[in-house]
Amino acid sequence: MIAMYLVLALALGGATVAVLAFAWSVRSGQLDDVDTPPRRILLDDK
Amino acid sequence: MNAIALAPQPCTHCQLPIPAGRSGEFCCAGCEVVYAAIAKHGLERFYELREAGAPARTSERSYSELDDPAFERVHVRRVGATATAALLLEDLRCTACVWLVESAPKCLPGLLDVRLDIGRSRAEVTWDPATCKLSQIAQHLDRLGHAVHPYRGIDRDRQHRLEDRLLLSKIGVAGAALGNVMLLGIGLYAGLFQGMASGDATVFRWASMLVAVPALGYAATPFFRTAIGALRARRLHLDLPLSIGIVAGLGWGTANTVRGVGEIYFDSLSMLVFLLLVARWIVVRHQRRASTAAELLLALTPSRAHRVDPVTGAATDVPIEALVPDDVVEVRIGETIPVDGIVSRGDSAVDVGLLTGESKPIDVAFGSVVHAGTVNVVGPLEVLVTSVGEATRVGALVASIEAFASRRAPIQRLVDRIAGRFVVIVTLAAIATFVGWSMISPALGAEHAMALLVVTCPCALALATPLAVAVALGRAARRGVLIKGADALERLATPGVMFIDKTGTLTEGRLAVVSWRGDLDAAQLASSVEAGSNHPIARAFVRHAAAAPARDVREQLGHGIVGHVGTRRILVGRPAWVAAQGAVVPERWVSELAAAGETPIAIAVDGRCVAVAGLADPIRSEAASAIRRLEALGWDVRIMSGDDDRVVQVVALELGLEPQACHGGVTPEGKAAAVFAARQFGPVVMVGDGVNDAAAMAAASAGIAVSGSAEVAIEAADVYLRTPSIGAIADTAAGARETLATIRRNLRCSLAYNLLAGTLAVTGLVHPLVAAIMMPFSSATVLASSLRSRAFRSSK
Repeated sequence: MIAMYLVLALALGGATVAVLAFAWSVRSGQLDDVDTPPRRILLDDK
Repeated sequence: MNAIALAPQPCTHCQLPIPAGRSGEFCCAGCEVVYAAIAKHGLERFYELREAGAPARTSERSYSELDDPAFERVHVRRVGATATAALLLEDLRCTACVWLVESAPKCLPGLLDVRLDIGRSRAEVTWDPATCKLSQIAQHLDRLGHAVHPYRGIDRDRQHRLEDRLLLSKIGVAGAALGNVMLLGIGLYAGLFQGMASGDATVFRWASMLVAVPALGYAATPFFRTAIGALRARRLHLDLPLSIGIVAGLGWGTANTVRGVGEIYFDSLSMLVFLLLVARWIVVRHQRRASTAAELLLALTPSRAHRVDPVTGAATDVPIEALVPDDVVEVRIGETIPVDGIVSRGDSAVDVGLLTGESKPIDVAFGSVVHAGTVNVVGPLEVLVTSVGEATRVGALVASIEAFASRRAPIQRLVDRIAGRFVVIVTLAAIATFVGWSMISPALGAEHAMALLVVTCPCALALATPLAVAVALGRAARRGVLIKGADALERLATPGVMFIDKTGTLTEGRLAVVSWRGDLDAAQLASSVEAGSNHPIARAFVRHAAAAPARDVREQLGHGIVGHVGTRRILVGRPAWVAAQGAVVPERWVSELAAAGETPIAIAVDGRCVAVAGLADPIRSEAASAIRRLEALGWDVRIMSGDDDRVVQVVALELGLEPQACHGGVTPEGKAAAVFAARQFGPVVMVGDGVNDAAAMAAASAGIAVSGSAEVAIEAADVYLRTPSIGAIADTAAGARETLATIRRNLRCSLAYNLLAGTLAVTGLVHPLVAAIMMPFSSATVLASSLRSRAFRSSK
């Protein structure tokens, strides 16, 4: 059952990375405005 | 020969006025072609769906106050050689607006960057102060149709943003914990049925604990904090039973993990915390959105005045705070008078509707007293300042609003009342379970008591209100009804007395020609001589019929107007004045119109009176049906107006209301007192639009401000109708009732689940798997029930 312990550790490690990444995106303000950016990508930059 | 309605319709396609001389429904051939193309494809619904079809408005202001050093100190941040400021923009709607506004730096040298947040109607502008001024940027955005206002709530906004980010982080942590604990839980449950080495089970239990305890300890802090705060204030709050459940579950689960026996509840608890945080997030988002929309309207206050230099006579723009008594200010046509004072130069008429509710403008001349918050409509005035700011009549009214608002006791929400009883019952049941089972087996006592605390943790109960409210607020906002908080919905749900203001609420709030005696063709002549005047009576004639060129027009303030159209000499004015000029005015016409509550205006052509027009503030078309619907919902609808009692009685008659229940001539102070007195007998709702209604709104159980309200009224109200239709008042009352019904249904559902789970726990039959399934199942039921709610659902 060593494999299971390994997978368990990997899964929890992955989850930690995901949480840290999410916390970073929140803290850097990426989720402050979720209405404008989806419209902005429709516009051409010339 | 009496009532005719010739109010010019705007263009069906673009809503711009149709120019004189063009017939049909369109302003130009282009619009007609576009309309035909849309109609050909059967897409006329476009005209229903599009948001307020008003054309782009430009205010053509100079925005010079934005360059003031005092403004800069507060609102502008300097970073190196660039400056940044936040501005609120009006009328932001779609991707095209984003594109237009964000492309501004290409058009204006010195403007470096514009970032738009369309959800909050806000732009962050960055510019180079050396080459460009903020006022120029504002002018540019204004020309695009987005009037600019300084954003005053920056500090509070930063606070909100930090709170929102913290809440999001907590949701992320709780979500990650939920996912992982759930996977471990599946392993453990599978092991229960298929068999699992006890060593592996121990590892899984420890892993669950190590994930859940720190994650939930962090993510659930908002609930612990409110629970402790409520305990300190000796008030009951739903977060109290939630916190008890979470703490008991985490504590007991940890103890059982360490002991290696008994149940752990980490999976159920993670789900509980995650769902509760998400519900809280939804509610916060909706409330922020409503308050942003209201904020934009609050920013419309004129915060500057033109002070006249006593020596040179030149006017300079100053902030209102800089004015002192005995200063002289200039008030241009169309501007709001910024101070209380005495007219020192000029003749004009002043629209006092917002302050007192009177529908007819008041003529002012040298020596007349004018009040802050009224609008100068006809000619430029100079006003000697007698009082400013809080010392003005408006200021005193606003102060009384705050006094009333602070006296308004917070209603104890239905769910908190239930939570109070819930805590007592669950605690007693837990003690009974502990004692009862301890007599059978000491080990089982604590086990079953803890199971009871965890499975009855009122997750669905906590979701019942926020989900129903969030659905209602979201749907209401889409229909143009901004509701400032969940409390307002609960307050509006029980019918009681509803006082409705007349001027601007039940009526259009502006004069219009509503009836006509005599020669119909005279309408065009009257409109022609009135075309150049700003007087409300003149505007009514101009809206009524198309104008032809007129010459030699002379206005006699307070009396009438005289001018020539072609070779004919036209007089339009008060019957007495027209009679004094030598024309015989038919007495019967005048008295008939006056009896109907209208203002008679005589029209004479070449010295002979040919017609008398009746002017009144017309009743909004949907007013009667809105009142019928409110009455059907059980509301006792009454009119309370500052306008003349005779006018009020005419309106009451027309709307089919009891004349005794409708009062005119009520002062703003009197309105608040009447509302306050009526509150002894039940819920009272005040609906209005003006400063004169604001104190009454604050005194009422709930206030509703209609579209076009004064900013003070919007602030004092709990509900703001952005749509011009007053049918929305009935929609709001009906929606509030439906929402409360949904909340009740949700509460019944979740209490039924808790009763079932509690019974299982007390009898010792509950299994952690049962708890883990019941928790999301009960929450999903509540969610489905909220979405199914009929509140604010489009009737079409």
